[in-house]
Amino acid sequence: MSKKGNKTPEQQQYEKLEQKHELKRPVLKNCIRAFWVGGLICTVGQAITYFYIYFFNFTEQTAGNPTVATMIFISMLLTGFGVYDRLGQFAGAGSAVPVTGFGNAVISAAIEHRTEGFVLGVGGNMFKLAGSVILFGVFSAFVVALIKTLLIIWGVI
Amino acid sequence: MKKRLLLMNAFSLILLSGCSDDGKVTDSDLALLKTTHPPAVLIDKNTKENLDLVQNIEHDVEKMKELYDVAVVKSNGDTLVAYKVKHLQRFHMKKIEKNMTKMLEEKYPDENFIVSSDYKIFIEAVELQEKMKNPDFTDKKAKKKLDKIIKLKNEMT
Amino acid sequence: MLKGKQSWVFQNLPVIAAAGVSGGPFEANGNLSEDFDVLHDDLWMGEDSYEKAHRILLEEAGQTALNKANVQKEDVQFYIAGDLINQITPSSLSARTIQIPYFGIFGACSTSMEGLALASFIVNYRGADYVLTGASSHNAAVEKQFRYPTEYGGQKPPTAQWTVTGAGAALISAKAAGPNLPVTTSATIGKVIDMGLTDPFNMGGAMAPAAADTITAHFKDMQLDPSHYDLIVTGDLGKIGQETAYELLTNNGLKIDREKFKDCGLMIYKEDQPVQSGGSGAGCSASVLYGHLLNQMKRGAYRRILVVATGALLSPLTFQQSESIPCIAHAVSIEMT
Repeated sequence: MSKKGNKTPEQQQYEKLEQKHELKRPVLKNCIRAFWVGGLICTVGQAITYFYIYFFNFTEQTAGNPTVATMIFISMLLTGFGVYDRLGQFAGAGSAVPVTGFGNAVISAAIEHRTEGFVLGVGGNMFKLAGSVILFGVFSAFVVALIKTLLIIWGVI
Repeated sequence: MKKRLLLMNAFSLILLSGCSDDGKVTDSDLALLKTTHPPAVLIDKNTKENLDLVQNIEHDVEKMKELYDVAVVKSNGDTLVAYKVKHLQRFHMKKIEKNMTKMLEEKYPDENFIVSSDYKIFIEAVELQEKMKNPDFTDKKAKKKLDKIIKLKNEMT
Repeated sequence: MLKGKQSWVFQNLPVIAAAGVSGGPFEANGNLSEDFDVLHDDLWMGEDSYEKAHRILLEEAGQTALNKANVQKEDVQFYIAGDLINQITPSSLSARTIQIPYFGIFGACSTSMEGLALASFIVNYRGADYVLTGASSHNAAVEKQFRYPTEYGGQKPPTAQWTVTGAGAALISAKAAGPNLPVTTSATIGKVIDMGLTDPFNMGGAMAPAAADTITAHFKDMQLDPSHYDLIVTGDLGKIGQETAYELLTNNGLKIDREKFKDCGLMIYKEDQPVQSGGSGAGCSASVLYGHLLNQMKRGAYRRILVVATGALLSPLTFQQSESIPCIAHAVSIEMT
């Protein structure tokens, strides 16, 4: 019943009628908001990178790790204080795509399932949303690395 | 646009650093923000030929149009070349580094070059050059500092 | 008495003796806060989980209804309740507390009217002197089960709806204890309608055909004209669903005054509250009907109303297995005698 092709004429007719009343996502507005908020988050990240380069013994290469950790820490605080979900509703992809969004996905699930205890609740559900990001992130990294290795062996690059 | 970027960076840095301890702002503190054009320096063997050599190296590197700031430090063993790449040329960072290494090694086959585009290495190099103006700063200390910079450069992740 | 294909007429006129409504902080800031008997300023309600808070809501609503009618719970024969949580545990646990013989029902957000119709039917045929019926929902508990964690920063589309934190309970009695009490006169039980919509963020659009089908069936069975009612109110269709349902009804040849066609999900919150398309949940129609609408009827604003609660009978599992969303609607007509 779910595939478009399997719909009865009655259902298709209703779909057309319903579409007329449906509120559309304001795509352009969402894009602009995502651009600004995402950019702002990245500017903060850049500032933190410079902070680590200036005041600690980190190079541009190595400052990435502490920067990511700091950003996730900030997003953890914002999630805990209930600010990040409002930011997410405003910014959409702007706050979901940077690493803070990943942190938010992990932390919100952990907070949510705290009532089911630490082992079955927090432990079992923490990666409910982020788990697929980790799985497919690692898998696609593996595939890309494999292709690159083969290309190097064959002398293409 | 470039000026605004610079201002924004400066602002975030000021925010992060607060007031510096002695209130004296040196070139190395601002090496990230402005073009410093530090003079090439030598550790040990302050001979005329060696001085000419480092100055030539600096001129040769500065001729590359993708760069805007170069710091050269030479000790008896290694020659450190730290440089800053123009913002839009940062896409070609790897190519620039390759070309530079090739050019330097062809021109000065006897020298052992350490080439880096990392901001941190640049800041450290400028700091070293400043410290060497102080007569109390011995060549031994300078050599140690240079080795530390080189070690930092080779550190990955 | 069965009338037509799918409607009951309650000729003995079961009385809604009393009703109790409880709500959460978001509802306290809403449009109808004055009509709530109990309001909490914290989603946790002093409990250590949202599910427990959910149960508290229903218990408070039920207890308020009993207190108002001055009826002891030992005198109530049956308790009919339902909600949206897995295996309707908040309702069942509240039945454990209240110790009244219990029917647990599930009709998603249509549970409120399903319960009222069944309670009226039982009372009408002298199956009981008193039946307590209620429905409830808790925003955080429902979001947790059906959507994402509450603190997750996902963007909801403008078609999404906000689950009401609230409960409504009504005590149905065979005889009126006093004057000026509303009675249930008829009910129409809906059939499951599936128009093939799959977007769980657009429940209103999915449920509109079910509402239209039940309303059309009601007028056909009862051989009435829409002008018979002062108000036809849907449960939680939201902006999109309500517009769509109105067009479907017009296409079906029912001429309803647009001013007399309202939606509980649009009444409960203020314009500026961030609820996208409106309120939803089993507690939405229950708290608006048993609170605001009954108060309005007692004040004389409406004489006859038809309440059509709509429900989307999906679970997170069926949605992930890309089943479309089956929907249902039940209608109960309430009159002042």
